[in-house]
Amino acid sequence: MCAGPAWREPRGMDHLIGYILLSGVLLSAALMLAGLGWHWAASGDPRMEAPLAGVNLFQLVAADLREVASGRLRPRLLINLGLAVLLLTPYVRVTASMLYFAAAERNWKYTLFTSFVFILLTYSLSLR
Amino acid sequence: MNMPATLAVSILAGLIGAMSGMGGGIVLVPGLTLLGMDIKHAIAISTVSVIATSSGAASAYVRDRITNLKVGMFLEVFTIVGALAGAGITIAAPRRPLFILFGSVLLASWVTLFAQRHEHWRPVARQDKFSQWLELAGSYHDQATQETISYRAARAYLGGPLMLGAGLIAGLLGIGAGALKVLIQDLVMGLPPKVSATTSNLIIGVTALAGTSVYLAAGFIDPGLTAPVMLSVLLGAFVGTRLLVRLSNQAVRRFFLVMLAVLGIEMILRGIRGV
Repeated sequence: MCAGPAWREPRGMDHLIGYILLSGVLLSAALMLAGLGWHWAASGDPRMEAPLAGVNLFQLVAADLREVASGRLRPRLLINLGLAVLLLTPYVRVTASMLYFAAAERNWKYTLFTSFVFILLTYSLSLR
Repeated sequence: MNMPATLAVSILAGLIGAMSGMGGGIVLVPGLTLLGMDIKHAIAISTVSVIATSSGAASAYVRDRITNLKVGMFLEVFTIVGALAGAGITIAAPRRPLFILFGSVLLASWVTLFAQRHEHWRPVARQDKFSQWLELAGSYHDQATQETISYRAARAYLGGPLMLGAGLIAGLLGIGAGALKVLIQDLVMGLPPKVSATTSNLIIGVTALAGTSVYLAAGFIDPGLTAPVMLSVLLGAFVGTRLLVRLSNQAVRRFFLVMLAVLGIEMILRGIRGV
C-alpha cells in the first residue's frame, strides 16, 4: 500500500539518531553518577548544592572545558559536564538530522524544517 | 529535601512516564513540590529530566524503527516555538496559577485517558495533498502480532499548529505533554497508536531542550539537585521502556487513572489555598 519511493523512510538515519541519543544519555548519566559518587565519598553527604547563576549552555560547556584543560577535576565539574552532555544530546540529534537530510537524503523540505529547529535552538541556548 | 523520598518519587516518575508515553514530568513535578520544592524549580528540574527520559526511550524506539522521523521532525518545528513561549511565561508568572494550571492539565489527562475508546486503529483512507507532500507515511513491524503495518498520516495542516499548544504546555509546566501529542497524532493525523507514542517521545526531547534553555538562562537549574533526580528518573524509564513492549496497557491505564485524579485535585487545592 505504501511502497512508493517517496514514502521510503530514511533507514540509515534511524541508527544514527538512535546511537546519538543512547550514547548522549549514557555518557551524561555516567558523568553525573561519577560526580555524585565522588562527592558522596569525599564529603559523606549525598546532597550537593551547586546552583548555576544564569549561564547559557555554550558558556557552561566552555567553562567546563577550560576546567578540564586546567586539570582541576572535581565532583562538581563532572556533574556540570553531565548536564552539558545531556543538553547537547537532542541538539546534536537535530544537527545530525539536518546534515543527513541535506547531504545523504538531499531532501530540501526536511533540511528546511530541521534547519529551522536548529537555528531556533541555537538562539535560545545562547540566551542568558 | 528528603533525599531517599526525592529519589523514590523520581524513579516512579520515570517508570510511569516511559510506560504511558506521557513523559515523567506529570508525576515528578507534583511529587517534588509535595516534598517541599518550589514549583518553578521543580518545573525546571523536571524539564531537564524529560530530556533524559525521552532521549533514553526514543533511542530504543528509533532503532526498532517504530518512530516516524519525518512526522517527528515536522511536528517539532511547532512544539519548540510553543515551549520557548511557555517557559518564558512560567518564569514571569505567579506560583498559585501554576499549581492550578498543573492540576487542570492532570485532570484533563485523566479525562482523555478515561474516555479513551478501544477502537482498532483504522488506516487513513485518503491522504490529503499537504500530508502527501510532507511524505508522512511509513511502516513498522509489530512485535506482538508479527505483522508489518503500513500507514499514512493525514491532516498535517491541522496537526502542526495544534502542536504549538502541546509545546506551550510542555514548556509552561515542565512536562512532556506526551498525552496531548499522542492525541493529536492519533485523532487528527490518524497514525497507529504505537507510532504516535514513540514519535511523541522523539519530539519531547527537543521540546524539553527548548524549555530548559529558558530555565537555564534564568538560573533555575541546580546541577547538584538535577543530577540525582535525573539519574533516578532515567532508571525508572529504563525499566518502563522494557515493560511497555510486553505488557498490556490495561493495568498501566488503571493505575495511571487513579494517580492522575489524586495528583490533579491535590495540585488545584494547593493552588487555591496558596500552599
